[in-house]
Amino acid sequence: MFLEQVFNGLTLGGIYALIAVGYTMVYGVIQLINFAHGEIYMLGAFFSYTFITFLGLDFFSSFALAMACCAVCGMLLDLVAYRPLRRSPRLAALITAIGMSIFLQNLAMIVWGSRPLPYPQSAVPEFFNQTAIVLPGFKLSWMQLFIYAVTLVMMTGLNLLIKKTSFGRAMRAVAQNKTMASLVGINVNRVITLTFALTGAMGAAAGILVGVYYNSIYPTMGYVAGVKAFAAAVLGGIGSVPGAMLGGVVLGVAEALGAGYLSSLYRDGISYAVMIAVIVFIPAGFFGKLIKEQKKSL
Amino acid sequence: MTRRRIFVFGLAVMVFLGLGGAALAETIKIGVAGPYTGDAAAYGDNIKAGVSLKAKEINDAGGIKGQKIELVWGDDLCAPKEAGTVGAKFAADKSMVAVIGHVCSSATLAAMPSYVRTGMPVISATSTNPTIGEAGKGWFFRNCYTDDFQGRFLAKYAMTVLKLKNVAVFHENNDYAIGLKNVFVEEAKKLGLDIAGVEAYMKGTTDFNPQLTKLKAANPDGIFISGYYNEAALIAGQARKAEIGVSLFGADGLDNADYIKIAGKAADGSYMTVPFLAEAAGPEAKAFLDAFKATTGRDPDWMSANAYDCLGILAAAITKAGPDRKGIRDAMAAMNSPETGYKGITGMTFFDKQGDCQKPAFVKMVKDGKFVPAEQMQ
Repeated sequence: MFLEQVFNGLTLGGIYALIAVGYTMVYGVIQLINFAHGEIYMLGAFFSYTFITFLGLDFFSSFALAMACCAVCGMLLDLVAYRPLRRSPRLAALITAIGMSIFLQNLAMIVWGSRPLPYPQSAVPEFFNQTAIVLPGFKLSWMQLFIYAVTLVMMTGLNLLIKKTSFGRAMRAVAQNKTMASLVGINVNRVITLTFALTGAMGAAAGILVGVYYNSIYPTMGYVAGVKAFAAAVLGGIGSVPGAMLGGVVLGVAEALGAGYLSSLYRDGISYAVMIAVIVFIPAGFFGKLIKEQKKSL
Repeated sequence: MTRRRIFVFGLAVMVFLGLGGAALAETIKIGVAGPYTGDAAAYGDNIKAGVSLKAKEINDAGGIKGQKIELVWGDDLCAPKEAGTVGAKFAADKSMVAVIGHVCSSATLAAMPSYVRTGMPVISATSTNPTIGEAGKGWFFRNCYTDDFQGRFLAKYAMTVLKLKNVAVFHENNDYAIGLKNVFVEEAKKLGLDIAGVEAYMKGTTDFNPQLTKLKAANPDGIFISGYYNEAALIAGQARKAEIGVSLFGADGLDNADYIKIAGKAADGSYMTVPFLAEAAGPEAKAFLDAFKATTGRDPDWMSANAYDCLGILAAAITKAGPDRKGIRDAMAAMNSPETGYKGITGMTFFDKQGDCQKPAFVKMVKDGKFVPAEQMQ
């Protein structure tokens, strides 16, 4: 049973990791916690639901299209809400983020209704529900393997993007020091907007996976997932992408083991307790860096 | 210029007062509280359908002694906090004479203090938690059975009809589910039915895999879900995915079209106890069944039927006592025996000193995506 709980946790953790990475990348480039990120995740699930139900697309094309749409949503979010406040105090952008989150939740309630919708199972390929691997004591279905695969591919893809491509280098430069980055010729605003597009796409992927796996989507699903993913990002060190991935997985496994062995009622409390315990001993998270408050001097 | 402004203002105030006064005299205001948005909204839909149908019938026939019924909807999201707000709002509205609601037991319990404090008669179609009667202090009535009865019925049914020996229990962390679970477990122990495990969950939980993995290890031959349709549907779906093929059964919370909609094929073979079964209803119900099907396009569930009768009971009380809160309460309290009770589509309703009533329980099941009557227990 222990192994099965670990695999339950890995599924959960992979999804948290996908969302956490979004929080951490945006924090890295503009030092803002994008509280509306949970809503992008929610929109991804709803967009793919709409594409399957009303446009009749199959699962994989709606997956890709929903990711593209959420990338656009992420960019719009930056353009409309955050870019005008680039030079304002951090508090203004934070409040705007919370405001956008509430706005998007209610917009979704107006457009799709406020109650949970079942994810259209007809569009999901039949073989997803069949067993793929038989392990001692339990089985893994193709759907779970699909979730692991998508999570792994996206994580490695993101890592390669950040480490090996020039865009990744530009992102790291902007994260280090915006002024110097623009001085060496990087279009800072474009990098930021593309970062939002990237996080939007990944958040959408997480939303669709959750919709398919749990078969239920609702307009407020972004709130809880967002809080947990934010906790995961902090656990791994905010600003560090590998940290967010690790944090997500650790949080997911802790939650599953907590629910399975300790108490299913306090499962959320247990995962947050784990996060608090780690932060107490490693204040910056697993891979984070402690930065002293920098005085702005001319 | 100023004098003219004062004159116009005074005129406007008089017009408003006049209109307001006229409105007060014309309609009988009844509040209907329930979840109309959120993850229990399908319950609110059913209440709306049942109450609206009865209100239309009464108003089309001329209203109660010439006065039409005006319904005021209060959305409590099936949550204690919002229910408290709705309760306070309704209680403070002097022109409101009675409240039908709330739907969820936790919500009713949270709103009850406001109603007791201001003396507002409340009748619930669906709140089954046994403690509400005491909390109501004479102002609360209900025309559904209580979980004392339902829990015991479920345990007996599981053992004698479903022939289960070892049952796993899921329950939500609210008054209704915990009360029902406690009675069920106690009765199961008395009857010799083993309990494989009890797992609690919070409202809004979507991932039940860790709990299902844990329960699977105890090898139950049945799963009892004490909760509402949304989480129950998710549990059913995930249980089937985890290849737990045992019978699922639940209580009144599962009787909702959204349970089948969300769970899909996984809902097939689920059993649930309900206070009203269209197929077992007497001839009085035939007109209601036809009218309901005509307006909503589907068969009525027990909540719509009970809500319909709730308005009927209130109408009977108002006819006798007039649109006055205390009078309505006394009239309903006087319906305390089969001779003085109310004969509606759900059978004969009469209340005991705590406002509770005796109603039989029926069993439904899901077959091929539809609700059908199951084998009844004698």
